Amino acid sequence: MGYFKDIANGIYNLLLGLKTTGKQLPQRAVTLQYPKEKMPMFERSRGIVVLLSDPETGELNCTACMLCAKACPVAAITITQAKDPVTNKRYPKTFEVNNLICCFCGLCEEACNFDAIKLAGKYEFATADKQSLVFDLAKLQELGRDVKYEKKRKAVAKKPAAKIEPKEKAAAAAPNPEPPAPDSADGSGDTL
Amino acid sequence: MLELTGLFQWIYAIASSLFSSLGLSEIILDIFLMVLAGAAIIIFLALMALFLIWWERKVAAHFQDRLGPMMTGWHGWLQTIADAIKLLQKEDIVVANADRPVHFWAPVVAFASCFMVYAVIPFGKGALAADLNIGILYILAITTFTVISIVMAGWASNNKYALLGGMRSASQVISYEVPLTLSLMGAVIMAGTLSTGQFVEAQGPYIWKWFVWPQFLGFTIYLMASTAELNRTPFDLPEAEQELVAGFNIEYSGMKFAMFFLAEFLNMFTVGAVATTIFLGGWQPPFPALSFIPSWIWFLGKSLFIVFLIMWFKWTYPRVRVDHLLAFAWKVLLPLSFANLILTAAGVLIF
Repeated sequence: MGYFKDIANGIYNLLLGLKTTGKQLPQRAVTLQYPKEKMPMFERSRGIVVLLSDPETGELNCTACMLCAKACPVAAITITQAKDPVTNKRYPKTFEVNNLICCFCGLCEEACNFDAIKLAGKYEFATADKQSLVFDLAKLQELGRDVKYEKKRKAVAKKPAAKIEPKEKAAAAAPNPEPPAPDSADGSGDTL
Repeated sequence: MLELTGLFQWIYAIASSLFSSLGLSEIILDIFLMVLAGAAIIIFLALMALFLIWWERKVAAHFQDRLGPMMTGWHGWLQTIADAIKLLQKEDIVVANADRPVHFWAPVVAFASCFMVYAVIPFGKGALAADLNIGILYILAITTFTVISIVMAGWASNNKYALLGGMRSASQVISYEVPLTLSLMGAVIMAGTLSTGQFVEAQGPYIWKWFVWPQFLGFTIYLMASTAELNRTPFDLPEAEQELVAGFNIEYSGMKFAMFFLAEFLNMFTVGAVATTIFLGGWQPPFPALSFIPSWIWFLGKSLFIVFLIMWFKWTYPRVRVDHLLAFAWKVLLPLSFANLILTAAGVLIF
């Protein structure tokens, strides 16, 4: 009788297997049709580096303080500083990010005091031309136009002045390994 | 009506008037009509093979919560056509020291054997190319040619994996041929005929009269044995990708490979068509009230349902071991099919 019991058991198990896979059939596919459908990127995802502008005036937030360039561990950021003769404000004359060596660590974003640089959740920059991955000022500003960001600078400015100082020191402490870092931190303090 | 009979009569009327006006004899007309029927079947089979490959991929994908091909056409329906064009363009490589004539003829035998079966398959009301009085025997004889093509391919390729696949296939298909044949014999006893046309008529348009109910054991054995005949999972040892790379067709490329591929999928449809004809009432609707739907739609629907079952098996069961495979054929399926045969014969004798 063990023979027939084995057969019955086998049939039961085969039907059980069919039931298990049959349950999967009507389920929705988890596939995302990538070029047509895209997953919304998370707010803090670290994509490509962009330069942020003031949403009202459309001007760059950057003051060419060089903090990000100093914070960058792979020296992917190159900035040329310039001074506006009328308003006496500093602005970046050129701003280059070499995405070929950028390691997407986000230290430049942490070092920045002016909400000027951010690793936006943008990707898809594959190209056949290597040199086109070195982004200049205009390209970086264009990429940052539609990037939403929280203004940490204004939020800080509303608070009493006594509290600003430690925060700035903490921000300046980030690129501390390099000796000239405190100097540049002072410089940025002047522009504030 | 959308029945095929009207179309055939129309073609016959045109062809006979054309031939009589040209002054040609009746024999030439008959030959012409035979060639026409063969061409119609081969076109149908080519389209069916393309459809089945696409469908297999979609079914496989949806069993795994994927989507399958989506980019070419609506839900990727052009994908198999694109693949076929790619295969046509490929170089046809024949390995060194291959048995060249055998290497060439193996895919031809594979494709021809699965094409010849359709001569006796009733596609719909009046759509039967040749109503042989030994139809079932003919089907069983012709489908066995597949194993010859597989052994030919395995031998001619001069490759140890291909040869292993071919030898495995030979042992497997010959073992499962016995329960497959015996499982059909119960239904043959009940119908009292071997002709496929009369088989369909014996069952009638009543679902409770179909042979699948009294012959449920035979139907199950037929499905299992034919899955083994098709070399599909869980009996896909001849082309076990993990062990034999691709099995018997490893040294085939281009259109020769495509012939094997198409033959494999067409054999799957053959199994569906034969199971439909013998167990599921052929082209007859389940109830006489549903006969407003054309008979060929019923036939295709039932056959594709069987094909879907076989695809479902593939994406459920893991491959069996070779000793289990043969033990299952000789120790389980063969005694059960004999028991089914004897019980059916006794039942027919008593009632």
